[in-house]
Amino acid sequence: MNIFSLAAKNLMRRHVRTSLTVAGVAIAIAVLFSLLSFNAGYERQLGGELGSLGIHMLAVPKGCPYEAASLIIHGGVIPKYLSYADLDQIDKISGIEIASPMLLHQFFKDDKPHIVYGINIEEQKALKPWWKVEGRIFKDGEAGVMIVGRSLAEKENLKVGQVLDFGPNKEPTTIVGILERTGNQDDEFHFLPLNAAQRIFGKEGQLTTVAIKVTDISKISEISKKLEEIPDIQVVTMTQVMGTIMNLVGSAQALLFSVIIIALFISAVGIINTLIMSVNERTREFGMMKAVGASGWDVSRLIVIETLIITLAGCAVGLAVALVGSKLVESFVRGVIPYSPGGDLISIDPMLVLVCIGFALAIGLLCAIYPAVKCARLTPMEAMRSDLE
Amino acid sequence: MNDVIITAKGLARSYNRGSEQVHALQAVDFSVGRGEFLSIVGPSGSGKSTLLHLLGLLETPTSGSVSIEGRETAGLKERDLVKVRRDSIGFVFQQFLLLPTLTVEENIALPLLFSRRAVKPDRIKGIMDMLELSHRSRHLPHQLSGGEMQRVSIGRALVNDPRIIMADEPTGNLDSATSEKIYGLFKMLNQKGLSLIVVTHNMELAGRADRVIKLRDGQISNN
Repeated sequence: MNIFSLAAKNLMRRHVRTSLTVAGVAIAIAVLFSLLSFNAGYERQLGGELGSLGIHMLAVPKGCPYEAASLIIHGGVIPKYLSYADLDQIDKISGIEIASPMLLHQFFKDDKPHIVYGINIEEQKALKPWWKVEGRIFKDGEAGVMIVGRSLAEKENLKVGQVLDFGPNKEPTTIVGILERTGNQDDEFHFLPLNAAQRIFGKEGQLTTVAIKVTDISKISEISKKLEEIPDIQVVTMTQVMGTIMNLVGSAQALLFSVIIIALFISAVGIINTLIMSVNERTREFGMMKAVGASGWDVSRLIVIETLIITLAGCAVGLAVALVGSKLVESFVRGVIPYSPGGDLISIDPMLVLVCIGFALAIGLLCAIYPAVKCARLTPMEAMRSDLE
Repeated sequence: MNDVIITAKGLARSYNRGSEQVHALQAVDFSVGRGEFLSIVGPSGSGKSTLLHLLGLLETPTSGSVSIEGRETAGLKERDLVKVRRDSIGFVFQQFLLLPTLTVEENIALPLLFSRRAVKPDRIKGIMDMLELSHRSRHLPHQLSGGEMQRVSIGRALVNDPRIIMADEPTGNLDSATSEKIYGLFKMLNQKGLSLIVVTHNMELAGRADRVIKLRDGQISNN
């Protein structure tokens, strides 16, 4: 028998209470770990997603709200359009490697929004060389064809070769290809040849945006200034897109974190209360231990060890639950915040595990200090006669 | 009984009960010889348990002093008091105060955990044999009778090899036959050279001690 086995046996005496306290700690740790992981994963995925777009900036119609412009790349639709004359002017600016016009259109099916991208496929292939397609990629100018993202195909049960009645006039359109999973928003979209999309949705000659890739990244600022000299155009760089989205998400995250911090605080108070009660009930025992030779330090050590066993067990359970339930948390948080990138948003970082263990230790010590100090100071008879308050 | 093992001088203990001050013990002077078996008797509230707790350094006197094995304990720091309690005294309580999750063997060995002494299986077995508890060594307290629990409590008091055993109403929760056995044990321990101070209500059992001190209203009325 040693002090650890004595502490463990003491805890097992009230196994229901001990289990509930462990569960309380586990919930707090699971929530903390999930949110910290989400926060880290969100920024990583967003950065990765913007990087995977293969473009450096977007030319959008002047007067377009900045936030909306930032969301274009993720399927946001704006009511203003650029013209081919604008595209010609963009093409004349030196230092631009690719200027790819796009039309974005949103329609609803079964109350769910669907995003259509009208694209020039050769330019898109250059921008996204990692695209792989089950079936085939359509050709520029081809009519009655489309490619769909993998997630969309799975959700709608779409197959290569399937013909859909597409658009307001229900034009028969064949799915010639399904994108292999990209892990970003492309998995959710319909892709059509640009001129076909314009015709189907009555937007002939209209462009939502022009995606631009420059030859030399160091000249982004210079090229951006030249683009903004074109009367109808404003430019949004990918850095600005990221900043704007993080601002949009930031307020929702701040609210979420405030609620979680309050929940953690309430949980911590509950745990402290339970542990103090548990120690109070055994004050007589601690008195007996002192009478048979335990010092105040021995009793304090026992209380601290018992408390740390509870909080560390709770931490282990909480981390396991968080790892197993990360998908559930992810889908919940995705529903709460205004925009979330594709892919796994929960990032399992060893540093976050250490942070959670540190948090559990802090709660454990916080809970243990008061009763431990109080018990240590009592004479054996004071402890045997009275309860702590 | 060649020399003195405990001396109390002017030992007093008062405490407040609401606005009233209660003098539980008033300037008691006496001593206990090495190897002596002493009973302390008296009616409820006479101060006999308070006296035992002060002699055992379980609480601090309001005034006066206790000297144990020639060492004055007044003014000792807590760690020194712990050492005296641990090395010189073994306590037996009326309520047994056994830890319910520990076996008989573990309850007896508990003080060794605090004295940082190695558990010697032979030593524990010897104590259990003496107390006729060997067949119960793996049992938990709730599986024992009252007499067996008190014997475990006595075993726990003996494990640190103290020179003095102090027992506070050790037979208070036991029937008369079991009480007889416990006193038989005390007598045996006394014959092995241990000093015993036993607080009891039971005048008949008290009479088996070498000496009986009678307390009344916090003072020794008969020594």
